[in-house]
Amino acid sequence: MSPSAIRWLIGGILLVLWEVLPRAGLVPQLFLPALSQTIAVAIADWRIFAEALAVTLSEAAVALVFACGGGILAGALLGSVARLRGLLLPVVSSLYAVPLVVLYPVFTAWFGIGAQSKIAFASLYGFFPTLLGTAAGIQTIDAQLLVTARSMGATLSQRLRHVVLPAAIPTVIASLRLGGALVIVGVVVSEMLTSSAGIGYLITSYRTVLDSPRVYVGILLVLLLGVLLDLGMRLLEHAATRHRPSAVPRRAAPAI
Amino acid sequence: MSRASMLAARLLLLALALGLWEALPRLGWVDDEILPPFSAVFVTALQLLQRPAIHGDLVTTGLQLGAALIISVPTGVLLGILLAENKRLAQVCEPLLYFLFSVPKSIFLPLFILTLGISFWQKVAFGCFSTILIVLMSATAAVRSVREEHVLTARSYGATRAQITRHVYLPSMLPVLLEALRLAVIFSTTAVVLAEMYASRSGIGQQIASWGESFMMRQLFAGVLIVSVTAIVINEFIRWIENRCSHWRS
Repeated sequence: MSPSAIRWLIGGILLVLWEVLPRAGLVPQLFLPALSQTIAVAIADWRIFAEALAVTLSEAAVALVFACGGGILAGALLGSVARLRGLLLPVVSSLYAVPLVVLYPVFTAWFGIGAQSKIAFASLYGFFPTLLGTAAGIQTIDAQLLVTARSMGATLSQRLRHVVLPAAIPTVIASLRLGGALVIVGVVVSEMLTSSAGIGYLITSYRTVLDSPRVYVGILLVLLLGVLLDLGMRLLEHAATRHRPSAVPRRAAPAI
Repeated sequence: MSRASMLAARLLLLALALGLWEALPRLGWVDDEILPPFSAVFVTALQLLQRPAIHGDLVTTGLQLGAALIISVPTGVLLGILLAENKRLAQVCEPLLYFLFSVPKSIFLPLFILTLGISFWQKVAFGCFSTILIVLMSATAAVRSVREEHVLTARSYGATRAQITRHVYLPSMLPVLLEALRLAVIFSTTAVVLAEMYASRSGIGQQIASWGESFMMRQLFAGVLIVSVTAIVINEFIRWIENRCSHWRS
């Protein structure tokens, strides 16, 4: 059997077990509600979940602007100025060790438990990885291309327009992909902690009343959201890099 | 710039940041109920560190973190080596693992409460769950980073299996494994602290969450300071060992 056939088989077996184990009483329904029951609940309550999802998505969209805007700008700066990079990259990667989630209570104290504190937290959560990713990506722009363009008499604006920007697009999209995934997690986690709306809030409130099927639906929806976003960004990446005959070779990101 | 002047510049930046933190509330530009000055937070942190109750919280968090690492790191390394040694298994499992690796782990936290309740082992289990994949994938990469030629050379000189493991595999895998350990510490700290903040009876994460809820800003910032400094110090310590081990490698 081919490896991918085995993977499909494993996936199929897991789905069957998800249905059979709770039905047969081998796993308590509280721990794992049957697949069919979970789907039934999702269909019955779709309006509640859709409304919560809309709240979460709108918060994530604003946070994405801050996290990726800030992260890409700062990352581009660090990536292109060697001295600044030497000075600050070690600082950024030290700060990476801090569990950022401890800052969420600070944000709720400052901004209340509405959308603002979620946006602030998710922006910060997505900021550092986007910065590091962009800084690493900008350095992969082939210096030879710039030298060639200059020796052929390209002006600065021409060099920016025809060399730097096209070469930076894959990096920017990759950063958006990473930032998007992190921002969704940031919003959902902060909604789970202290909130009054959104899919994370829904998950936590169903968890406190031990309504397992609805907890599972919420978690599955967040996963689905992540997968769809990733897929969308991949398509964008494909569309943005298609017209270029020779993509900039991808080198391994430097260790940070 | 030389190393020393780099370090000096970084210290200067740190001093500037702390100075700004001190000045904003002192000059009245920010309400000190919103942002207490650094000196006040620092003093509060020192006071907190003398309280037995806080010791209890830090010990709880430390034990949960330690247990999660003791379970997840060796298991992850063993599974990773198994995967790297077994081609067929790797072909089947790797795409699945990559997918699982990209899935956010924090959102599964409520399931750990549904199955294990709010307990010590629930935090440990969630810590392991958040950590094991990164260790597994690093261990696989570590095995693959061992150069085939080195193994062949050692074997052709008549090295035994134990000698090859000791003198070829271990030295070239060690830096990668230390990096894995460092990431494991970062991931499991986040996981344990998040689990404590989410639902818990003790632990520093739980304290921070409750200080936040009752607007005790000095204690809240002091807690954030304690956790951040500890996390950075541990991370830098492992990185220091990492650098010493990979010194001769290239």
